[in-house]
Amino acid sequence: MSGHSHEHSDNVAPFLLGALSDLEAQAFERHLMSCSACHEELEWLRPAAESLPRSVSPLEPPASIKGDLMETVRQEAGQAPVAPRRPWRERLPSQVRMRPAMALASAAALLAAGGLIADAVTQSPGNDSGRTVAAKTDSKRVPAASGSLIVPQGEGEGAVLRVHGMPALGSDKTYQVWLARGNERIPQSLFNVSGDGEGSGAVSDRLKGADAVLVTREPAGGGSRPSEKPVVRVPLDGS
Amino acid sequence: MTLLQDANQDAFEALYDRHGGAAFSLAYRIVGNKAAAEDISQEAFLSIWRSRDRYRSERGSVRTWVLGIVHHRAIDGLRRNLVHDRRRASAEGIEERHEAKELTDVEVLRRDEAKQVREALDSLPDEQCHVLELAYFGGFSHSQIAEMLEAPIGTIKGRMRLGLQKMRHQLVEDVA
Repeated sequence: MSGHSHEHSDNVAPFLLGALSDLEAQAFERHLMSCSACHEELEWLRPAAESLPRSVSPLEPPASIKGDLMETVRQEAGQAPVAPRRPWRERLPSQVRMRPAMALASAAALLAAGGLIADAVTQSPGNDSGRTVAAKTDSKRVPAASGSLIVPQGEGEGAVLRVHGMPALGSDKTYQVWLARGNERIPQSLFNVSGDGEGSGAVSDRLKGADAVLVTREPAGGGSRPSEKPVVRVPLDGS
Repeated sequence: MTLLQDANQDAFEALYDRHGGAAFSLAYRIVGNKAAAEDISQEAFLSIWRSRDRYRSERGSVRTWVLGIVHHRAIDGLRRNLVHDRRRASAEGIEERHEAKELTDVEVLRRDEAKQVREALDSLPDEQCHVLELAYFGGFSHSQIAEMLEAPIGTIKGRMRLGLQKMRHQLVEDVA
């Protein structure tokens, strides 16, 4: 492949390697939809990127992984309640935690009766360079969902919303991120979720003065105003 | 995969038996911590079980799908938990502790495949190999790598592109 060159073509390899920021990756994904040259190069280089994990010498995993895993699978297949294993993030006290609201969701759903429920974590320091604000999710329309907004330090350059456990949408629909200021709804970005329900959407406008970041399900291509009540809402202080 | 998508537990167990080692190895290679690698492997396979109906064969092999999920979770764990400064055990040290003594035919093939990809990586100029490893296994962004190596971002992106191009030539086109 001879390779092509324009302002986006340099991002093909970093995109495949996961070396773009969330905002850059989203912008590149949008570009891919309309640039056949980048798309072609992406598919041409993909086998090389996908070979990288195969360079790792295979090791024998501890037997406990399979044992715990199959026990959970058997319980889930039998519709029995499952006690999730505590992730290593929670077992290491020095680590920053960012847990989804799975444990809280079922209890809160009883109280919320279809309304928006709070995530288990309300707010925490995201890392050295910002903070994390937990999302509220609709317990009826996206029952397994959780999410959080990662706000860079200074809060002047937008933010990234990460979601988990969101239902995948058909090709005719997309998730759309909005910034709410009073009654105004300002469109931000579109995103879809991966096979395991994870995804992220960019908030490119300044958060200052905003009341919330919202997510709705819209027709492919997005809309200029929300067509439904949000399925995810991240409350902001509006300051 | 059809059986798995019908929630067949035996099919899931077979999937784990086939790809669990590679998943754990990749997670360990990325996070450099046994407990974290175990959790990442387990979370990834649970995610696979719960979203089993979302696998699409036209998008790639099952192995690529599994390893993609493991990679995503491992890098996400790295970035959230700021363990980039971890002390990573050497590959030789890891193998001494965990390597299986008896190798099946499939495992022998996997080791040959790993050797072939490593040789392709090692054949790259150092600066290209370095940026590929920092990005894919280290979870660093192009701008972080540029800062670390004190090189312009455009140079780093160029090395990534050239590195993947050469890998592609060696692994795909030379075989064809």
